[in-house]
Amino acid sequence: MTNSTTARNVVFYADDDLDDLELVKDAFAQYSKNVEVLTATDGSKALSYLSNLKKYDTLPCLIILDVNMPVINGKETLLRLREIEHFQDVPVVLFTTSSQPMDKSFAKKYNAGFITKPIDVKQMEVIADQFIEHCSEEIRDKIRRQIK
Amino acid sequence: MKMHDFQLLPEQDQIEILYQFGVYIGKHKQAFSIILLYQLEGFYVEVFYRKYRSHVKHLHCFESTECLEPYLEQIDVENLV
Repeated sequence: MTNSTTARNVVFYADDDLDDLELVKDAFAQYSKNVEVLTATDGSKALSYLSNLKKYDTLPCLIILDVNMPVINGKETLLRLREIEHFQDVPVVLFTTSSQPMDKSFAKKYNAGFITKPIDVKQMEVIADQFIEHCSEEIRDKIRRQIK
Repeated sequence: MKMHDFQLLPEQDQIEILYQFGVYIGKHKQAFSIILLYQLEGFYVEVFYRKYRSHVKHLHCFESTECLEPYLEQIDVENLV
């Protein structure tokens, strides 16, 4: 598990692709004063960390899951997270190379967002904002207010 | 869409179509460049990057399966056995 800053709002991101991990950390760099990005390289490590958080610990304001990960994939990770009481309402986004309707439907069924990994910079520029859109209104406002 | 029609489009339109309809196949690295491979109907498109997922250097379209080799080597079949 790695962390990149020591801020308050935690975004947790699991992906086995190290280039994509870097990419998302870069995308959140503009919010680095108030967003801490924690990462894991597969679903099992993500679950191990997240399931050890207690109800009164600071939970991530957003969990981003790649779909195709070794050991436990992103969909299974999402299912298992939703079985944990205090993770039932935590915003989750499936961040994947897929743009298939069946993957989108899966995300919707388990109350998760769905974002297809970008191909070029025009999509990258808005990617952090797309993620933040999935946070609660209160967190969203807090994160955005602090960079103004 | 046929490969020839796709190739006639401006690069930004090609990228948008890939993003919407492309099926991601794999990734490989060549020297310092990262290349992503997508399938689009009956052909394949490689995205060569100057900077990963940020600055596209160029796209390369092909139909032959021979060009798939560098990607096939990366597929881990252990979980499929």
